[in-house]
Amino acid sequence: MQRNLRIKLFLFFFFLFAAIAFAILFPRLTLPFGFAYIVYLMAKPLTAILTTGSRRQRMFFFSLLVIGVSFSLFPLFAAFYNIDTDFSKFSSHLPEVKSRLQDKFFVIKVYVFEKFGYRLNVDPVSFIIEKLETSGSLLLSQIPNYLSSFLEWLLLVPMFLYFFFFQSKRFGANFMRSIPNSIFEKTYVLFSQFNTKFGEYIIAKFIEATILGTIITFSLLIVGFPYPFVLGFLAGITNILPYIGPIIGIIPALIVALLSNDPNASMVSMLVIFFAANLIDMVLVFPLLVSRVVDLNPIIVVVSVIVGGQLGGVVGMIVIIPFIAFFKLLFEEIYKDLSVQL
Amino acid sequence: MSYEKEMMDKNSKGEVPNDRLDIPLLKYLWDASPLSFKTKDNYHTFFKKVTVLNSFTDNEIRVFTKFLHRREFIANEVIFRQGDSGYGFYFIFEGSVDVFANYQNINNEEKSDHVIRLEKSQYFGEMGLLEEFNRRSATVIAHENTVLLGIFKPDLEKMLEFHPVLGAKFLRETALIMANRMGQLTREIISLKKKVKDLENRV
Repeated sequence: MQRNLRIKLFLFFFFLFAAIAFAILFPRLTLPFGFAYIVYLMAKPLTAILTTGSRRQRMFFFSLLVIGVSFSLFPLFAAFYNIDTDFSKFSSHLPEVKSRLQDKFFVIKVYVFEKFGYRLNVDPVSFIIEKLETSGSLLLSQIPNYLSSFLEWLLLVPMFLYFFFFQSKRFGANFMRSIPNSIFEKTYVLFSQFNTKFGEYIIAKFIEATILGTIITFSLLIVGFPYPFVLGFLAGITNILPYIGPIIGIIPALIVALLSNDPNASMVSMLVIFFAANLIDMVLVFPLLVSRVVDLNPIIVVVSVIVGGQLGGVVGMIVIIPFIAFFKLLFEEIYKDLSVQL
Repeated sequence: MSYEKEMMDKNSKGEVPNDRLDIPLLKYLWDASPLSFKTKDNYHTFFKKVTVLNSFTDNEIRVFTKFLHRREFIANEVIFRQGDSGYGFYFIFEGSVDVFANYQNINNEEKSDHVIRLEKSQYFGEMGLLEEFNRRSATVIAHENTVLLGIFKPDLEKMLEFHPVLGAKFLRETALIMANRMGQLTREIISLKKKVKDLENRV
């Protein structure tokens, strides 16, 4: 009898590891699957609200949802609407930027020659601009690839979403049935906790990014800083990465402030806006929304983000945090068990 | 609120009931029908016999069963061990289980104290559902091939979120089980103390 139970346990773990290996080997399937799962987790609480209660209650929540979504997506739509014009504006300014940079570099060259008598024979400005142009053309040549993977996602994501919304219950029940009795309770509870933590984390980060992006967009718009939608959008998106995100988010604005000859592109106002927005995020939004979901030491978070970036790029950086929170839960559970046995 | 009352209330308020055909409800009614040949082994009939849930309406039992997990155990299989983290509450749907205290080894009966045998329609493990860090206080082993219906902490949380009335009712029933067990324990302690006192007086 014990032998049969052990075989069942072995087979369960064998199939589990095989599934994980499949997911790692076929990222073209795993990534849209993961994306659909994130969308499903974000939409799940809404479906519960929208399908229960009286018709009047459902109508109220639906209107609330429409208002909320339109408000939170406004900067996103505005950014997409303006992103094209902002980028073409930026490309048309590129020769101007080049000459400005060359002027500034010439001043440095003269200063170095006068001070040290050394003649700088390098031309980093042309090198940088050339690099920018070649990477731009490289990006253009990659467009067909991006387009094909976009079409792939367009097909796969709705398919996976259909699976999550309509088939996952039955699949989940079958999966639960296959878990051996000896590990069922712990596996089920840990799996549920991970699901809840992952869903809550994704929603919390999305709301946090929207709030930060909106604050920065509107503030830049008010002071008349160039490219407010693109910079606000980038700041919001990069904010999804904990601790490192705000630093990456400020870089495009810093470049614009350094290179633009627009009198409104003041470095001080931009820094004040970014600092204030991140302060609001740190003092108000993060403690209220995110920290109650993932209770992790900041050093662990920073190290995890770096490791996540190394393993899975930007997606890895975002997804690693709930995974670390889950492993923390798992180790706590194992430690509790060991302490009882000892 | 019972399903019938809910429908009547909606009707009196002039609300149009959901015109979608509720297949799970029809399936449930078919299963629960006294004329159904499946009556003997369906969850509805089973839970009607479980004393702690007899305050549940038919519809509440139907919703409650959605949160349960069916687990099948072969004879002598360990359900949980003393000291394990506990998260679930089990109803015995088929078969019977043995409860042991200080259990050491399945082949070494001498090292364990058999506490009780629980039969069909009885339940165990309710502390696991209520306590935050529960440790199982005894080892439970399937006496024969057994089918258990378990409800676990995440299920209870879901139930409280989506069916708060049912969740509260179930929690009240679980608290009643605990209160009864506490009462039993108190009575046993009193009787043991009395016996100890009698022995002391005799000595």
